[in-house]
Amino acid sequence: MVDKSTAKRLVDEMISNLPKHNRQQRPVHTIGVGVDAYFTASDVARKFCIAEHFSGERICAKVRFSNASGGPEQHDGWNDVRGMATRFLLPSGAATDLIATTLREFFARNVEDFFEFTKLDKHKPYRRESPWRKILDMLQLKIPRRDPYPGEETNASAGILNYANRHRFAQLGVAEFKKIGAPVSYARAAYHAIHTFIVEGENEVRRPVRFSWQPVAGVGNTNPDAPPVDDYLRQELEGRLQRWPARFVLMMTIGEAGDAIDDPTRPWPARRVRIVMGTLTLTGVPEDQATAGEQISFNPLRLVRGIEPSADPILHARRDAYEVSREMRGGTACPFSHRSCADGE
Amino acid sequence: MANDESWFGKFVNELHEKPWFKCAGAWTLVPIWARLTPVKPLPGGVRPSIQPGDNLQSMMNLIMPLKTENRSPIGRAAAALAIAKNRDQIFAGLDNVGTVHFARFVIVNDNICMFSVYDGDFTNYIRDFIATIGSAFNDVVKLVEGGDAVTPCEENVEAFIQWIHEHDLYQVPDTPTDFLRDQEYLEGDKAVSPVNDDLTLLPRKLVLQLRANKNVSLGSGYRAYPGYSVAQVRKQLQLGW
Repeated sequence: MVDKSTAKRLVDEMISNLPKHNRQQRPVHTIGVGVDAYFTASDVARKFCIAEHFSGERICAKVRFSNASGGPEQHDGWNDVRGMATRFLLPSGAATDLIATTLREFFARNVEDFFEFTKLDKHKPYRRESPWRKILDMLQLKIPRRDPYPGEETNASAGILNYANRHRFAQLGVAEFKKIGAPVSYARAAYHAIHTFIVEGENEVRRPVRFSWQPVAGVGNTNPDAPPVDDYLRQELEGRLQRWPARFVLMMTIGEAGDAIDDPTRPWPARRVRIVMGTLTLTGVPEDQATAGEQISFNPLRLVRGIEPSADPILHARRDAYEVSREMRGGTACPFSHRSCADGE
Repeated sequence: MANDESWFGKFVNELHEKPWFKCAGAWTLVPIWARLTPVKPLPGGVRPSIQPGDNLQSMMNLIMPLKTENRSPIGRAAAALAIAKNRDQIFAGLDNVGTVHFARFVIVNDNICMFSVYDGDFTNYIRDFIATIGSAFNDVVKLVEGGDAVTPCEENVEAFIQWIHEHDLYQVPDTPTDFLRDQEYLEGDKAVSPVNDDLTLLPRKLVLQLRANKNVSLGSGYRAYPGYSVAQVRKQLQLGW
């Protein structure tokens, strides 16, 4: 856990890196869309986790998809991490959150790493590389830097790359970020909860796990060579959900002794046991976006009995940083209303 | 990407798609960089690990080039026949090994290939393999480059294990950074942080490794039920073993 002043510093550092910031909005993941949904656990989920949302009962949920960049400008088509924050509104009246992004691994192991990262993650003027420079890159068998998007005047990518060149633990997260692209739909991306949680199953068996949402519609990105479109993800999702619900499968990977439990920069091998924990069905995009997503304050440590955090320092730092951010923008502290399932229940 | 691009800028941006540019790169740039920054071929097979999940459903991708005199339809037919006539012996032997999920033989160009998925340690797998089907496998190995030196394989166990290991494909890791770490480890670099790397060199490193290691297996592969052994699957399905 970090103290409040550290959490505030974390948020302030993030805000100070933004070209523009509106204090009534989230400092990162600013642009997003709230969606109504429900979750149904799989037949085997209860065996592995006794948490209320895995009981098999249909659980109302609120989901907010977002672009990770901070600031009020919307650039759906730019290379960026996407977020999927899910609030499960439990029959008991409690709630629990699962926050995931399209980035599989984080680039900082702890708060100190993160502060060092923010020193380099500064927006600097971003200009088109000269053709001669690109030819020189190609002669060295390097991939030339991408051209700026229309309207892209600053970028933090040089600082991020410098950080990764100095820190091997950050290299995977940064390498993945560089080629992450833009999804054709929020419903066509896979989202990963990054951190390890400890879940309790039947007979009080405790297991380290990582969660991922896999889109039933499949993963699909836009053409990175085509000019990006700034505003399409919300409309695409509205249109998609008017025609048919979209679904995500919640996969839970079980770690083994020796896997990185407290370090979100390190992936687990692909050969770990995966459990299908349930299906999330997105039903519609409500008109009232303030209630559906903007005012909800998600928090990765809003957990219920059956799921505990690992000792991952970034996970614990996020708890207080999210709370500081909520206070700063005047978000709702505890909106645990669970009476309005999207399908009218 | 932005529409204020000059004709020269557009031309350069599209260069990497031009066939002549690709050929020029392959025939001139790659050999030059291979000479300036030599790369050792990374070894084949799975990485050693003590974690149980890493020792289940491992993949062996054995590529065995046929001898020069067998690089013809007749030679390929001889290889096919060597497998076909020993089919019962091979399948019965694999049953006896007891840790093999899948195994199949494939002819690709002038290579006879064996792809298999097994549990447990590689050397134990090959040792059991020789013990149960070594004599049947001799007919195949005799057709292959360097095979004479290790046949009969049941009498040249250690040499045969080494030979198999050398013909097992390098398995490119699932992440680009693990690929970099493989190369650094081979060069004796075990630094953690801070370092002075250059991530922009990743494409060149991959190109040069694929020059040194022409055939590779990409990633650790997909598994529908990772983490379970042959014995566990058969027991759960009540198939006996």
